[in-house]
Amino acid sequence: MTDTSHIRNFCIVAHIDHGKSTLADRLLEITHTVEGRDMRAQYLDKMDLERERGITIKAQSVRLLHEGFELNLIDTPGHVDFTYEVSRSLAACEGAILLVDAAQGLEAQTLANYHLARDAGLVIVPAVNKIDLPAAEPDQRAKELATLLGRDEDEILQISAKTGEGVPELLAAVIAQVPSPVGDATKPVRALIFDSMFDAYRGVITYVRVQEGVLPSNARIKMFATRVESEAEETGVNAPEPTPVPQLGPGEVGYLVTGLKDVHQAKVGDTITLAGKEGASEPLPGYREPKPMVWSGLFPAEGGDYSELREALDKLKLSDSSLVYEPETSMALGFGFRVGFLGLLHMDIVRERLEREFGLELISTAPNVEFHVFKGDDEIVVHNPSEMPSGGDHDRVEEPIVYGTIITPADYLGPVLDLCQARRGEQVDMSYITPERVEVHYILPLAEIVFDFFDQLKSRTRGFASLDYEPWGYQEAKLVRVDVLLHGEPVDAFSSVVHRDKAYAYGKQMTERLKELIPRQLFDVAIQAAIGAKIIARETVKAKRKDVLAKCYGGDITRKRKLLEEQKRGKARMRRVGRVDVPQGAFIAALRVDDGGEKEKKK
Amino acid sequence: MDTVGVYVHVPFCLTRCGYCDFNAYASMDALKPRYVRALLAEAELAAPDWTDDEVVSIFLGGGTPTTLDIADLKGVLAHLRDRFNVTPDAEVTIEANPDTVDETKLSGLLAAGFTRLSMGAQSFDRGVLAALERVHSPDGVRAAFRAARAAGYENMSLDLIYGADAEGLDSWERTLQETIDLAPEHVSAYALTIEPSTALGRKVQGGEVPAPDPDLQADMFSAACDLLGSAGYRHYEVSNWAKPGFECRHNLGYWERRAYVGLGAGAHSFRGDRRWWNVRPPEEYMDRVEAGELPTGGDERLEPSDAYLEEVFLRLRILEGIPSSWVEPERALPFLESGLLQENAGSLVPTERGMLLLNELVLALAGN
Repeated sequence: MTDTSHIRNFCIVAHIDHGKSTLADRLLEITHTVEGRDMRAQYLDKMDLERERGITIKAQSVRLLHEGFELNLIDTPGHVDFTYEVSRSLAACEGAILLVDAAQGLEAQTLANYHLARDAGLVIVPAVNKIDLPAAEPDQRAKELATLLGRDEDEILQISAKTGEGVPELLAAVIAQVPSPVGDATKPVRALIFDSMFDAYRGVITYVRVQEGVLPSNARIKMFATRVESEAEETGVNAPEPTPVPQLGPGEVGYLVTGLKDVHQAKVGDTITLAGKEGASEPLPGYREPKPMVWSGLFPAEGGDYSELREALDKLKLSDSSLVYEPETSMALGFGFRVGFLGLLHMDIVRERLEREFGLELISTAPNVEFHVFKGDDEIVVHNPSEMPSGGDHDRVEEPIVYGTIITPADYLGPVLDLCQARRGEQVDMSYITPERVEVHYILPLAEIVFDFFDQLKSRTRGFASLDYEPWGYQEAKLVRVDVLLHGEPVDAFSSVVHRDKAYAYGKQMTERLKELIPRQLFDVAIQAAIGAKIIARETVKAKRKDVLAKCYGGDITRKRKLLEEQKRGKARMRRVGRVDVPQGAFIAALRVDDGGEKEKKK
Repeated sequence: MDTVGVYVHVPFCLTRCGYCDFNAYASMDALKPRYVRALLAEAELAAPDWTDDEVVSIFLGGGTPTTLDIADLKGVLAHLRDRFNVTPDAEVTIEANPDTVDETKLSGLLAAGFTRLSMGAQSFDRGVLAALERVHSPDGVRAAFRAARAAGYENMSLDLIYGADAEGLDSWERTLQETIDLAPEHVSAYALTIEPSTALGRKVQGGEVPAPDPDLQADMFSAACDLLGSAGYRHYEVSNWAKPGFECRHNLGYWERRAYVGLGAGAHSFRGDRRWWNVRPPEEYMDRVEAGELPTGGDERLEPSDAYLEEVFLRLRILEGIPSSWVEPERALPFLESGLLQENAGSLVPTERGMLLLNELVLALAGN
């Protein structure tokens, strides 16, 4: 058990691609935690998906031993979807390196996480990274940071995580500036869970920061939030490979093999103590149930794969405590699930894992947010547009809003403000970080962000603007449900809740898109968009007139019969909506949000 | 005793047309004598299975059968008459391309017993012929046709293709009118179908040539029905029209599911619940026959459901239709109501519009 005065717990706050993982690699090397020959790029990013996308999905901690100090580097998830997880990782630290790319400068997400870190009372050690890049402007960036932090420019370290330049100095600054943790070893143990994962061999492994008391290797433990008790099997630290230790003392960071089999029993933000009378009576503050922000229907492309999808979701849930789902039946898409996600990235990751790890082919409906519908004294929570009362059969509807932070080069301020206005944003304030870079705050409906806001922001600013947001409650809005009808039959999968002023545009976009996707049938197919009984847009797929094999030549009847059988199988693979045959691909293409974005851009 | 047909495949052509996916080859002329010998040998091998049957039609198709010498063609036909029970009034058809025949050859063929001539005209529009990569000209068609009449042919068919790139409805109607003016006994008019494995198919895939517009082809089909109908031709199969009594007996055999034996590379045969076909490559075909064996390349046994599907789609192609009792009334009803089917003396028969949507009709009526 290390004396707390020789412990430093810190994290790195940085934007995607600003070099956090590379810095972590250098720190592993400098401290000889990993020897050169064992080194590989982005050592700490375990999942394939993380490496491929260059982001960290799951936080991890690694122990570095350096000049008599125990340094615990706690990696934080790098995406807006995981703000709560970030806050718990920060709660496990006393300090944070604020890392900014010398070419790109401060980004919204870094700023948001910096605010989180500052609010959590962390000591900030600022550094400008990638000074080896030709496009680097380290002095300019240092000035930006100094302004933000209210410090002198010469307090901002300049490093290259890639070459290692300045990294030893940064490490020294961490040791010098970040305070050591404080914690009474004699008190009942209280350990904060800042990450929790499922290992196929060992069950649920939590990453914890012991605040006070001592967490022994084998003990009967208790989780406060879930009230679950269990026989813990092992305490250890990542150095960087898992290494058992006899116990974790105050201020220490490590892992605990909990003996649990379900990740939902040991949730991020919960407190671990000992079971029985040796346990603490109160949890650490700050626990919050994970709350899905974005919902989407997931359906197997082949109807028969429903049970496989269920099994895959059940398995995924073991390692993803924020995943929520319930069975859903769609008239158009058959049996599937309505799945709740923390955000768009989380949604992409889950979908990709289902397809990649479980070999499923999926159709997903357009993502939507959670609406609160009020009628008289009743409040209905709607996760699925098709559950929304249609045609104004309610008093009012509330939708989730977020507090958005956008940082953009001043040159693109106009287009950014236009976008926010067009997306029903309400400006809170705006300030120049430097003459070239502006920070804007908006209250925005989450639904607008879910609908290709990122893509639009990037395309309007050549990729230079960045966005971060945090939940900001609910607000009344004039929302309507737009239904899409094929030959008079509503297609539930295409229903969407949109603002009244955008209903027409949505209806027009969907009907036009479907017109290109629905094959001609034996009759004219009307494609209509409607609010309640009112039709707001219409397209027609003209009846097909010719579908015949022209020639039966030389008695080769076999081939013709096979062609007919093939056509028959093709028909069987289609979904039937009323009398209309709709191919799978049409659902997938029609529900793809980014295509709409592409179209808008081209106009 | 069944009434059966004999098909003989001649895989040689002067040039290979871009749209054609038949078993046909240009510049293989050196193989001709050997191929003819193989045909004779195959007839020898196959005939014993057909001794109880009466051959009512013989059809020499290709390729371009008229690329063979008259002596060879004459020899093949004589050999068939010798080995099979060919009825005296059997229909004997030979396919011809305008640029492979002259009056002498035509007279010779007629004398040899080829009494029906099916000529591949395809179009009377130069642009369309070029798009189809046909080597003959409209004048060539007219000249060959007149030569055949002069030689004494009284049963002639012209083959047409519609919907090639650059063909408009006007051009197609002119082609139809030219055809009617020549007054053949029989007309086949096929919508151009793009086969992926052909030169034209690759051009369409590559975007060099637009795919045929199905709506325009539908209009062209209607024009054919109108013009040929008013000129006294009876529309007796999706793509075939004939003056009364001049329907092609051989092709009707395919559609009526009568037995037939195919001779030559890639030729198909049928009897009862079995369909089989010869190996396609001419070299392999000849090797097999020369080794004294039947050159069968594959076969299939038809399950009752296969046979039923064939029966439905073939009967609907010719205007015989299917007995109403085969189909549950509620299945047929929407098609009767929408004018794609009509009920005719207890049979369901496609209308003109229905013929164009025959695949849909078949799948709906024969589906399970």
